[in-house]
Parts: sequence; structure tokens; C-alpha cells
Amino acid sequence: MSTNKYIMEAQDVHKSYRMGQTQVRVLKGVNLKINPGEFTAIIGASGSGKSTLLHILGALDRPDKGTVRFRGDDLATQSGRQMNRFRNRTVGFVFQFYHLLDELNVLENVLLPKMAGKSFAGWLVCRRAAKNRAKELLSQFGLSQRVRHKPYQLSGGERQRAAIARALMNEPEILLADEPTGNLDSKTGNGILEVLERLNGTGQTIVIVTHDERIAARAGRVIRLADGIIRQEK
Amino acid sequence: MYKFTLSIRYLIRRPISYFAVAAVALCVFVVFVVITVLTGLSRDFKQKVYLSTGDCVVYTKSLVGFGYYDEFIDILRRQSFIEAATPVVRNYGLVSVTETGGLDAYGQSVREIAGIEPVSLSRVTGFGQWIDYHKNDVADVFRPAYDANLPGCVPGIDFLFQRDQQGLYHTPGRAVRAAFEISCVPLTAKGALARAGAGELNSKTFYYSDHFEAGYSLDRRLIFLPLDDAQLLCGMATGYKRITHIHIKFKSAVPLNRGTEQVKKLWGDFIATKAGAPYENLLSEVQVQSWKEFSKVIVALVETQQTMMIVCFALIGMITVFIVLVVFYMIVSHKSKDIGILKSVGASGFNIMSVFLNFAFLIGLSGSAVGVLAGWPFLVYINQIFRFFNFRLWDPQTTSIGAIPNTIDLTVLGTITLCAIGASVLGAILPSLRASRINCVDTLQVAQL
Repeated sequence: MSTNKYIMEAQDVHKSYRMGQTQVRVLKGVNLKINPGEFTAIIGASGSGKSTLLHILGALDRPDKGTVRFRGDDLATQSGRQMNRFRNRTVGFVFQFYHLLDELNVLENVLLPKMAGKSFAGWLVCRRAAKNRAKELLSQFGLSQRVRHKPYQLSGGERQRAAIARALMNEPEILLADEPTGNLDSKTGNGILEVLERLNGTGQTIVIVTHDERIAARAGRVIRLADGIIRQEK
Repeated sequence: MYKFTLSIRYLIRRPISYFAVAAVALCVFVVFVVITVLTGLSRDFKQKVYLSTGDCVVYTKSLVGFGYYDEFIDILRRQSFIEAATPVVRNYGLVSVTETGGLDAYGQSVREIAGIEPVSLSRVTGFGQWIDYHKNDVADVFRPAYDANLPGCVPGIDFLFQRDQQGLYHTPGRAVRAAFEISCVPLTAKGALARAGAGELNSKTFYYSDHFEAGYSLDRRLIFLPLDDAQLLCGMATGYKRITHIHIKFKSAVPLNRGTEQVKKLWGDFIATKAGAPYENLLSEVQVQSWKEFSKVIVALVETQQTMMIVCFALIGMITVFIVLVVFYMIVSHKSKDIGILKSVGASGFNIMSVFLNFAFLIGLSGSAVGVLAGWPFLVYINQIFRFFNFRLWDPQTTSIGAIPNTIDLTVLGTITLCAIGASVLGAILPSLRASRINCVDTLQVAQL
């Protein structure tokens, strides 16, 4: 068992993409340490590499260079199976455009991480408890009446709350949110931030990516990303 | 669990998947109908050939025939695995119609003649069912009803009557007086002309006592005569009596190959006891074959046609594979966001592939179900449907096939269904593989939405 005090640590992370004939260097050596229970906001202009950094922290993408450690374990040394497990159990993602599956209802969307992490037999064993947990989360987020609704029947705020419930389904150690209010009006966005603050209040580690200073101001710690490197931290 | 749920939802909610289901259903329908009809035609034909042959034949290709057949038939009849055995003389004769009796037969023609013992032949073959007026008294089949003292003959129905447009024969319902002079070239046991310099032909007039309908070309080319008369006509009756064929039927539980092998052994033992006997050389030309070997030329033709048609229609399956492939490429392209979401919650590439392969399986299954549900009643009523639309697959006036065969074989049905599902899954493999390799970051980027 690692005794590393940081829940997540990025060291000299580089990432570049090919766009047509040109190679675009998005991250140029990012160093970052996240403490357990922290509410961290990564702020930067569009194209500054903040979403890319979030994807790398959540093992959706791999850095070209540098290391990302979760509780001291280098993610680069993990097998594909372990990375899937990591995405399933350790992190929860919230996206700007909610990314709910249109074919599933709200309850099924929230149950998705639990179903993805279980075999058919394993799911049969745990499904009752899983459904209770999902309903409890939906209740917490004021969606009790929307359980059987399809995503297209919900408002933007409701969809994002459903997406947060999905991200929390497997009780992840860290919640990664990519512009969670970017597609919402200020009032609804504020409601989402309150939800995140409440979660952080219960000890949930949260990393949020935003380009909005006012939203970043609600986080306990703000990291400013510009031109692929961290320029400022407070 | 989500794999099954998503597969079912994709099937129900994606209209494009209905095209894939329709493609599979159409393919299953066509192949099911065609293979059922072709298999039925082939099976019916083989059954007709079998009914004209029995299980096993001891025969010679020589027109001279072979002797000592009574002794061998006695041996056969004592065997526990033999149900019945019967001697037959097969030869060719010139048939001249001397009295038409109002029938369609006229003129002269060369036909095959078969000298038979009607009772024992009906125990070995379908002869007893083929005849018309003497089904209940086969022994009297060669006694014309209008004069029992006249020598009778049983020509094939197609020799005497013509079909109407529905393919039906209109027989008079009783034997009418019609006479046929049959002439054969008699050969001695040495193969020489028995009547050299004395007209060379043996002729006798026979009277129409009944006709037979075997349901294939025999009806056109064969005339049954009493065995003794056929032997006389062919020069096989004097001194050293000969025949050309012994037809044998095994007991029902006896496998064809085992029974045939036992007859071969019996024949080998039998000719060994005839070493040095007169005309023993004729015995060495005798072959023992199962009915399948004996009829392989005619059966192989039908089977080859059947195989070629099945292969042609199996190519339709390739089209289905291609349609499913195209549909799945489109679906995977539309569902790239879903793939990204699934990967973000920990689904592996294999899991993603499983979602789409399950989906393909469901398309194959539902397409097969639709195809079978449409094909089954179509086959059951195929004859009525074709009659209603006055559509003919063949000319009933020239073909001895009555109805379109429509007996549904569950093994064929199961095989078609499995192949359809397999084709569906096969068509989905490449798109599913592509789905499993999609980079979730690319699909979840705002710019991609």
C-alpha cells in the first residue's frame, strides 16, 4: 500500500496532437499535485490544454512524456484492464455536454458504471443494491421524479445532475469535471456548482476545468494553465 | 448487462437496423423456400428411384444375363436380414402397337422391357403401388380384365396416355383392349444370336392389362412383362435359364451398406461353389450394388443440380454480410459518442465489440425469425399460391412432378437460421472492431459534437 500523501500527481506531462500536417504541442511539461479532499479548479483559455490535462489525469488519454501517479502508482505501468478498472472505480467524469446515452433512461444511465464493472452474473448479484444506490443519488440531486425519463426529456441542469450522479455511482476517489456548467445558464450552473461544493464538503476530491474566473473562485485551489504549462497557482 | 440492454435498444430505436433485419429476413425467406423446394424435389426423386430398385441389386450389364439365379435367390431368402428378393430380366424390345383400343399409343418404338414376378417384385419395390387396376390383386396384373386368357403387359402410363394442362392423366378406369407386339433379339448363353438366319427376332403380342406410374422417366420407357415371357423373348428361357437382375429388399433395421456388404459376400461364396459349372464366366460379370450406387448416374445429376442451386443461393448470404457490414459502419459512426461514454466509465474495447456483436446477433435472430415466419406459410400454401396466380415452375404436360414439394425440414431450417445469424455477426465483425478501437477522447471532444 502506497503511503503517498497526494491522491494524484502529474510530473512533467507533455502531450501533442497532429492537426493535418502540423504537430500541436498542447501540454509542455505540466506538474501538478492534488491532495485528497481538495476542490481544485484548472482555469485557462480555450485551447490552453486544460481538458487534455483532465483526460490524462482520468486515464482517458496517455501523455507523450512524463508521469501521472495515482496514490503513488504510475498509471503508465498499468495494463489496459487495470486502466479500465481505474476509469470505472477510481475516477468519475462529468462532461460539459453531459454525455448521457440517449437509448437508456436516467436510472440506467446512472447505473452504467456499475454495470460496466460487473459481469452478467456479478450484476445479477448486486443489481438490487446498485439500483438503491442509484435512486438514492438521483433523490439527492432532485431527480426522483425523472428516474424513467429519457435524457432528451430533461432540462440541461437535470441532465448534468444525472451525469454527476452517474459519475458518483461507484463512489470514485476523485471526480473530474470538464466545464460542467459550460452549457448551462448562470442560475442552473450555479446549482451545479452548489452540488459540487456539497460533495466536496463530504470529502470528495474534485478537479474541475473551466475558463470562467467566477466558477474557479468557488474552488479551494485554482491552477492557471496557459500555453501548455501551469503559470500560476493559488 | 448493459451490453444486452444497449443491443436491444439499438435494435428497436435505430430505424437503420430495420434495413439490416429486412435484408436478413429476405435472404432467409428466399433460401428457406428455395432449399426446401429443391431438397424436396431431390428427396422425392431419390425416393422414386429407390422404390424402383429396392435396397440392393445383383445385376449384369450383359444382355446375355446370368444363370443359377434360382439357387442364389433361395440362399438370399433364407437370410435373416433379407425381406424379399425377386428376379428381373431387363432388355430392349421393338414395340409395335397393333390395337390402340382408343389409347394414345401408336406406331413403333424401342422400349425397355422388364420381365418380372409381380408378387415378389411388389415386395421389393413400389410396383404394387404404381399399378392402377390391380392394386389389390398384384398376382393377376398380367391378366387383362376383358380376357384373362390373353398374355398381359403393364406399360408405363406415359406410354399410353398424355397429361392434360394440369398434369393429370385421364385413364379409362379399366383396361381396354389394346395390343402390342414386342420383338426382342434373343441371345444364346454364349452371346450369339439365338435365331441367326431365322428372322433373328422373337416376337409376341401382349395385351394391355394395367399400367404403372412410377413418377419419373420409367413411365415413358418401360413395359413390364411376365418373367417367363421376357425370358422367352430374350432367349434366356431355354436350357440354361437366365436373368439380368436380382432386386433385394433388406429388413427395415438393416443399414444399407452393411446389408450390401453381406450380399456381396454371399455372392462371392456362391460363385465359388459354381467354379467349373457351365457358363460360370457369366457369373463373374455380375455386380452387387446398393441402390444408391446402382442409380448413381441418375441421382448424381439431380444432386449436382441441387448443390449448384444451393451454392448460387448461398451467395445471397454474402450480400447479407455486405449489407450488415455497411449498416454497422453507419451505426458505429453515429454511435461514436456512446462508445466514448462507455469507455469513460470503464468499458473495455472487448466490451464495446460485444455490444455491437450482440446487436448483430439480434439482427440475425430477428431477421431469421421474420424470414421463417414469412417463409413457413408461403411454403405451406405454395401450391395454392402458384395455382391462384396461374404461375407454373414447370410444364405439367411434360414433367412428371405433380406438386411443388413443400415438406419443411427442421434441420434445414435450423441450419439456415444459424447461417443467417452467423452471416450477420460476420458482417458486423469489422465495424465492431473499428468501434472497439475508437479513441474516446476524440469522440468526447466538444469539437466532435
